Amino acid sequence: MEFYLISTLNGVIYGLLLFMVSAGLTLIFGMMGVLNFAHASFYMLGAYVAYAVSSAAGFWVGLLVAPAFVGIVGMLVERFLLRRVHAFGHAHELLLTFGLALIVEEAVKLVFGDFPVNYQMADTLRFAAFTVYGTDYPFYRVFMGIVAIVMFVALWLLLSRTRIGIVVRAAERLPQMAEALGHNIPVVFTSVFGAGAALAGLAGAVAGAFYPTNPNMALELGVIVFVVVVVGGLGSLQGSLLASLLIGLFSSFAVGIDWSAADLLALVGLGDWARTMGGLMTMQVSSISATIPFALMLLVLLVRPAGLMGERG
Amino acid sequence: MTEALLELNGIAKSFGSISVLQEVNLDVRSRERHAVIGPNGAGKSTLFNLISGMFAPTSGTIRLQERPIGGLPPHVINRAGLARSFQITSNFRRLSVFENLRLGVLARHGIRYGLFRPVSRMRAVNEETAELLSIVGLERRAHDMAGDLTYSEQRALEIGMTLTTRASVILLDEPTAGMSRDETDQTVELIRKVTTDKTLLMIEHDMSVVFSLCDRVSVLVYGSILATDTPPAISANAEVQKAYLGEETAT
Amino acid sequence: MARALLPLALVGAFLIVAPPFLDLGWQNALINILIASLFALAFNLLAGQAGLLSFGHAAYFGVGAFAALHLMARIEDGLGFPTPLLPLAGAAAGLLIGLVAGFFATMRSGVYFALVTLAIAELFHSLAPHWQGVFGGEAGLSSMRMPWGGLIFGSLIEVYYLTLAWVALSILLLWGLTRTPFGRLALALRDNEQRVRFLGYNAHITKVIIFAISAMFSGVAGALQAISNETANYVLFASGVSAQVVLYTFVGGATIFFGPVVGAVIFTLFAYLVSDLTRSWLLYQGLIFVLVMLYAPNGLGGLIHQHLRHRGQLDWSRLARPYAQATLGSLLVAAAAIFLIETLAVVFSRDYAVARRDAGGGFPAYEVFGLNWTPLSPVPWLLPLALFAAGLWLILQARHPIGTLWQRVRAGSEPDVNPS
Repeated sequence: MEFYLISTLNGVIYGLLLFMVSAGLTLIFGMMGVLNFAHASFYMLGAYVAYAVSSAAGFWVGLLVAPAFVGIVGMLVERFLLRRVHAFGHAHELLLTFGLALIVEEAVKLVFGDFPVNYQMADTLRFAAFTVYGTDYPFYRVFMGIVAIVMFVALWLLLSRTRIGIVVRAAERLPQMAEALGHNIPVVFTSVFGAGAALAGLAGAVAGAFYPTNPNMALELGVIVFVVVVVGGLGSLQGSLLASLLIGLFSSFAVGIDWSAADLLALVGLGDWARTMGGLMTMQVSSISATIPFALMLLVLLVRPAGLMGERG
Repeated sequence: MTEALLELNGIAKSFGSISVLQEVNLDVRSRERHAVIGPNGAGKSTLFNLISGMFAPTSGTIRLQERPIGGLPPHVINRAGLARSFQITSNFRRLSVFENLRLGVLARHGIRYGLFRPVSRMRAVNEETAELLSIVGLERRAHDMAGDLTYSEQRALEIGMTLTTRASVILLDEPTAGMSRDETDQTVELIRKVTTDKTLLMIEHDMSVVFSLCDRVSVLVYGSILATDTPPAISANAEVQKAYLGEETAT
Repeated sequence: MARALLPLALVGAFLIVAPPFLDLGWQNALINILIASLFALAFNLLAGQAGLLSFGHAAYFGVGAFAALHLMARIEDGLGFPTPLLPLAGAAAGLLIGLVAGFFATMRSGVYFALVTLAIAELFHSLAPHWQGVFGGEAGLSSMRMPWGGLIFGSLIEVYYLTLAWVALSILLLWGLTRTPFGRLALALRDNEQRVRFLGYNAHITKVIIFAISAMFSGVAGALQAISNETANYVLFASGVSAQVVLYTFVGGATIFFGPVVGAVIFTLFAYLVSDLTRSWLLYQGLIFVLVMLYAPNGLGGLIHQHLRHRGQLDWSRLARPYAQATLGSLLVAAAAIFLIETLAVVFSRDYAVARRDAGGGFPAYEVFGLNWTPLSPVPWLLPLALFAAGLWLILQARHPIGTLWQRVRAGSEPDVNPS
């Protein structure tokens, strides 16, 4: 029981963290058709900037400055780099973000070193939220979840209830029409890209104080974020949330599951045969917990590319 | 009823809740030249897309030489003997004119995935391509890139490409769109020359082209065929006039 | 075509004759350059010729490597298979996996296609460390090259000639492919897939075949690497490997046949020469890539090709000066960037932090390019700034005349191809 409760809590929170990063990515893709390979780099940048700032001015200042900084970087990237390459086609846009991811990773290593840094949360947040079966559950985990939820609500309200949101959604559907109606579409694109980057930066600033902040962060999270946006549906915010929670919960639970295909086949009497086959049959779910999300991603791409909640075509 | 080479029965097509074609019945006889005319937005291009396999009809049947082809993929329909041109020029910009044509010729010869012989050594294919090149009058431009051709040269290439697969049924989508009088006349002669022993279905807006080329005309208005008859009969048809005039007074 | 043969013949002669006289480091570098070139060419069959961007090509490189190692292990155990034919195992594995992967991947296009290829590679990457039997788990597989036909295959130079033979053969085959009906079909597919369908071709099957052939030659490249290193592990499936081949191909130029080779040579050579000099060489690689993407979308090879193509029409005497200016300017900008990056690398390094602590929190002198600098003086910061400004000024000066001269070329002849 303890396992289920803790796994659920951890899974939900990890899922919410994934959502914070993937929200920006899916919005950017939905609007501009650009799959930003550098998105996880914004996440990493957020963590490192928060670390740098917090070392001098405290955790909370770092938490505020990091997303702002990353957001500005995002806007500059869109305005001066992406836009330039836009004329050469989608492939070149993809490639450019690809190159950017490389540069950000190396630049971080250059300044901060090729090893983890000691980014610490504020002492005021370092307490137990509650006790579960004798173990203290850290409040900071809950804090991460709260930030993610607040972010989702704020985003949703912004997009659905405000004028800005309407313009953004119009620009996503019919950019030329929106432009003809007088809206400055290039500015909208730049802002959305910057906002998406800022969100990822915030996620990094928040997560980096709990999980290790190291130069591999972007790579580790990067591929999972792609799985999330694909499964959720490229362009769909709700889909992203759903898929993030799904993957978060799965990752959390899978680590503790020791079944293998052979165990399943044992239920129908083929256990021994499966065990002699070896290989894939005897691999435990816990071992291949990293593989299953990619299998899911493949399945979704091939069977229903719109994902859980995306739109067809 | 004389044998219909291409027969559409009860064809309807909707995209979501938008119904573009309602109840289209059309038959194209063997060796005839048949035009489809109608106001803009009537669904003519959609009709062509259905026949050539770009998408499947929502209901109804399409038969090519008695064989149902509705919903089959484009390459299957093409191999069954039907080829189409595109209203917006659709060629291979970065390949030479010669190569553009040769690709279709290769397909016709069944050399589709030929991996082992250089194409420059395939004499029959190259000769046939050269012949086609001169038929459409593009010999001088043989080695220029298709993307560099003038508009009417591209339209000629478009017709040429449609002919490469030696299909017996040719669909031409507004072949003279955007052309001057002289260019139109040249194109009409080209079409006449290359379709002497073929069956032609074409979308046209220019009535003089229809008159000089076509045996029969079908009028497509808001998703269904209003009338099918010879060109003189159609232009005298009161309902047809109302459909067109009605359009004009509306604009 | 005949004009192209002379430089090719020269390169070929060098590759055949020179290596025994080079030191081991260079021989190894050449082997890596050859393997990288083949991998990039195989990748470009899909990306540049058919227009399908794959972000997971490491998968086929990797399976080729592992297949070769399995065969090597069998040979070690006594199987009488000729060692020089080992890359066939890589080809077979690449072809097989490529057929299956390609069938599914080509059901989608554009971004979705790229994502499928990514997922497939990650599938291998995450599965391999846990699959002892096939991939040797985390440690991977190792096997020795066995002698055959009088050759021991113990020395690097033998491995070099084996690699050279297979790469040369593969390049020949890939070149020949572009001359076949299928090769022309691939190009047409890149331009206008829809029209290809309406001309009676099954586009899906076409794409699957291209994918499979691309994977096959990637498998050969992987096998050659396994033969050379005598080992392989799951790291071969990492996104970094897929990323490298994308980098090589697009910096070199995806639109011409030898473009990817240019990129592979430049980057592999760069890594070999520079990685000992600075820890930031990957950063330089990334910067070069982004700069090429921004300013030379057809790659460096494309740039060269453009110049060759129009060399009759370009006014070389007038171009000489602005080109010299632009080159000098670029060198200055590069020098500024390198100086700045190397300075930052030193100033932010752990060693410097220690030196600072020892100096009681001050900012002691440090060494860059053999000279000493102090971070508190404005010199180490003004120097790159000055170089950068001077370089930028030169480039901007040269921009206008270069632009006008090329304008004239374009107006006077056929317009250039649109990139991508």
